[in-house]
Amino acid sequence: MLTRRPPLRILIGYLLIPLALYVFAVFIPLITAAFYSMFEWKGGPNKTFTGIANYIALIQDKIFWLSFSHNLYLILLCVIGQVGVAFVFVMMINTRFVKLKSIHRTFGFFPSTIAAVYVGFIWLMIYDSRRGILNWFLELIGREDLTQVWLNNTDLVMTLVSIPLIWQYIGYYMLILLSATSSIDKEIFESAELDGANAFQRSIHIVLPMIKNTVIVCLVLCVSGNMKAFDNIYVMTAGGPGNNSMVLAMYGYKVSFAQQNMGYGSAISVGIFVLGLLVIGGMQLVSNKLSKD
Amino acid sequence: MKRSKIILSLILSIVMAISLLAGCGGNETTTTTAAPADTTTTTAAPDDTDETTTGDEGGDGYAGDLTLMHFSTSEESEGNGGSDGFRTVIAQWEEANPDITLKQTVLANDEYKTQVATLASAGDLPDVFLLQGMNTKSWAEQGLIMDMTDVIKDSPHYADYNQAYFTPFTDGDKLYGLPVLTGGTCTVIVYDKAAWAEAGFEEFPKTWDEVKEANEYFTANGYKESIAFGNSGKWQMNSCFLSTLGDRFTGPEWFQSIIDKGGAAFTDEPFVEALDYTGMLFQSGVFNDDFNAINNEDAREYYISGETPAFIGGNWDVSYIGATLLETDPELYENTGFAVLPQPEGATGSENSQNIGLGYAVAINSKLAEDEAKLAAAIDLAYYVTGPEFASYVAENYALGGLTQVSNVDLSAFDQFTQDFYNYSYVDTNACEIYDSYVSPAVWDVLNTELQNLTNGDTDGATVAQLTQEAYEANY
Repeated sequence: MLTRRPPLRILIGYLLIPLALYVFAVFIPLITAAFYSMFEWKGGPNKTFTGIANYIALIQDKIFWLSFSHNLYLILLCVIGQVGVAFVFVMMINTRFVKLKSIHRTFGFFPSTIAAVYVGFIWLMIYDSRRGILNWFLELIGREDLTQVWLNNTDLVMTLVSIPLIWQYIGYYMLILLSATSSIDKEIFESAELDGANAFQRSIHIVLPMIKNTVIVCLVLCVSGNMKAFDNIYVMTAGGPGNNSMVLAMYGYKVSFAQQNMGYGSAISVGIFVLGLLVIGGMQLVSNKLSKD
Repeated sequence: MKRSKIILSLILSIVMAISLLAGCGGNETTTTTAAPADTTTTTAAPDDTDETTTGDEGGDGYAGDLTLMHFSTSEESEGNGGSDGFRTVIAQWEEANPDITLKQTVLANDEYKTQVATLASAGDLPDVFLLQGMNTKSWAEQGLIMDMTDVIKDSPHYADYNQAYFTPFTDGDKLYGLPVLTGGTCTVIVYDKAAWAEAGFEEFPKTWDEVKEANEYFTANGYKESIAFGNSGKWQMNSCFLSTLGDRFTGPEWFQSIIDKGGAAFTDEPFVEALDYTGMLFQSGVFNDDFNAINNEDAREYYISGETPAFIGGNWDVSYIGATLLETDPELYENTGFAVLPQPEGATGSENSQNIGLGYAVAINSKLAEDEAKLAAAIDLAYYVTGPEFASYVAENYALGGLTQVSNVDLSAFDQFTQDFYNYSYVDTNACEIYDSYVSPAVWDVLNTELQNLTNGDTDGATVAQLTQEAYEANY
C-alpha cells in the first residue's frame, strides 16, 4: 500500500503514457487515413486532391458491399458457433458427470493460442480435395458422391472459411463464460434441482439470466473480432474463388497494397471504421435493451 | 503477493511497449538486411600512353571517369548467374580499357531502385545505369535517358539480339536501353516423356485437341487428369498461362499498344477469344479439378509424385522439380521434357511463344551526348556487358541466357534436364511478354480475380474483358 498519494502532476504524467500510445496507434492513423482518402494516390510522391470522389466510388463499389455481406454472414455464424457452442460446452462441463474439468478447460482454450495463419494452413489440409481428411472420411463412410474441391465451391466457401475461426475461438469464450458461471451460487442449482428443473431448464432460466452481462461482452467481442477477420481467410483462399470469400479488411489490404491504390484504400478503411461503429453500436443498442428487461 | 503483482504488471507493460515498438519497426528490419553500398573505384592510371591496345575495344581514345550504377553486389552474385556474369564482364571491360576509370556504385536491388529514382528526380543520374522497364516512358519523356535506337541498330551484335526483350524499354518507335542480366521463362509445360509416349505422343501435342485426346487415354489409365496447375494465389493463371496464350491470339503488337495506350483495349476480339479459350480449357477436364484451390507449389507435387503426367508453371517451379526429382525419382528426372503451350484452334497471333523477359536494361544518361568520346566509351560498355561474352559466360556456367543469343554454347557439362531447359528458354522458342511486368498492378488484380470466376465457369470472357478494361482506364 502506498503511504501517501503521489502529487497530481505525477499521476497525470503516468496516465498520459497510455493515452499517448493510444493517440499514436489509433487516432493518428485514423485521421491520416481520412485525410488520404480525399486524394487519388497511386503510391509514389504524387497525390491529387479529389474530394469525396473516393467515397462516391465506395458507395457504388459492388465488391465492397459484397465483402460487407460476407462479414455479416461471418458474424452470424461466429455468434452462433463461438458464443453459442461455448455456452453449451460450459453447461456440459458444469454437470456432475464430467470429470477432469481443468483438462477440458485447458485443451478447449488451446486452439485460441495458435496464430490464425497456422489455423488456416491446418484447415487447408483438412479441406484438401486429394489428401485432406474431410474427403477421406467421406470416402470411408461410403459417401464418395459428397467429396468435392471444397474451397472452390462458391456457395460453401464462406461457411468453410468460417469453421476454422469458430473452432479456434470456442475455447476462448468458454473460458470467459466458465468464470462467469463459477460465481453463481451453487445453492440455486440445488434448489432448482429439488424443484424438478432439468438441465436445459436450469441453463435457460437460471444460468443465462445470471450471466447475461458476460454474454453481452462476449457478443461484442465476437462481433468486433469478426469485423476485422483477415488472416486465416487470406491463407486459405485469398478471398477466392473470385471474390466469393472476400471480407472487408482483406479488400482494403488488396486495394491499398496489391493494387497500390492508397487513396481509395484509405477510403475503404474509413468505410470499414464507419460500418464497424454502426454494427457494434447497433449491437450495443440491442444489448442495452436486453439488459434492461 | 502484492510484490509479485507489481512485478507481473511491470512485465506485462514492458511486453506491451516492446510489442508496440516492434510493430512500428517491422518495416525497417527488412531493409537493414540489405547489403551496404560498396563503392568500388578502379585505380587505373590516367595516362593515355597505350592507345593502340585499347583502340579496337572502343572508347575511341577516351580517358577519364565513367560512372556506372547497378545492383549486382558481390553477395548477390554468389549463386545468382546473372549477377556473377555481369560483374565478370564489367571486370573484363575494365581490364581492356585501362585508360577509363570506371566508378561503380553498387547497391542492393531495393536501395538501388530508390536511389536511382531519387537521382532521376534530381536530374543527376550516373553516366551508365540500369533502367527498370516501367520507368522507361516517364524518364524518356523528361529527357533523362538517351534515345538509343540507332546505337542499338549499329551494335556489332545486333543480329543476335533477341528482339522481344526490347519491349519494356521501347517508347513509340524509340529504344532506350540494352536489356541486361538473364531472363527466365514464366510459362513452361513440364511433362513426363515416357507417359505421353504411352498415350501415343512422342513429343508434347501441338494442339489442345490432341491434349484432350491424350486426356481420354490418361483418365482411362489411372491418372486423374493430364496437366497439373495451381491458381489459388490468383496470379498464376495470368503469369503462367494467359500471358502466353493471349499472345497466341493477339500477337505482340496488341500488347505493345496496351502498354503504349495506343488504342488497343482488353475488350478487343482476339483477347476476349483468348479469355474464352482459357475458360473452356480449364472446364474441359484436362487440368486437375482443384486448380483454383491449390497453389503452384502443390500442383507441381502432383507431377513429382507421378500422379499427373504434366505440369504448367514457371522457371522457379522447374528448378524445384529438377532438384527434387534428382533426389527422389531419377527416372522421372531423365524422362522430363519441356514444351510450349499447344496452339489454340483459331489463334492467329503468334506461334511457339512463351513469356520470358529481362526486367532491366543498360541505359545512358542523355547528358553524355555533349561529350562524344565519353559517349562512345559508354556505348562500348553497354555493348560489352550485354554482348556475347556475357551470354556465353552465363550459358556455360549457369545454363542461363541474356539478350544476345549465342550459338554453339557448350552445354555438355550439364545434364540433359538442364540442357533441355536452356534450349526451351532461349533457343527453340519465341519470346513474348510477361503481362504483369507492365501496366499497373491494379489492372492485373482485377483480371486475376475474374480469371478464377472465368475458369470456374461462373462468368464469360466478354465480362472479364469489360471489367479489366474499366480498371485499365481508371488506373493507367
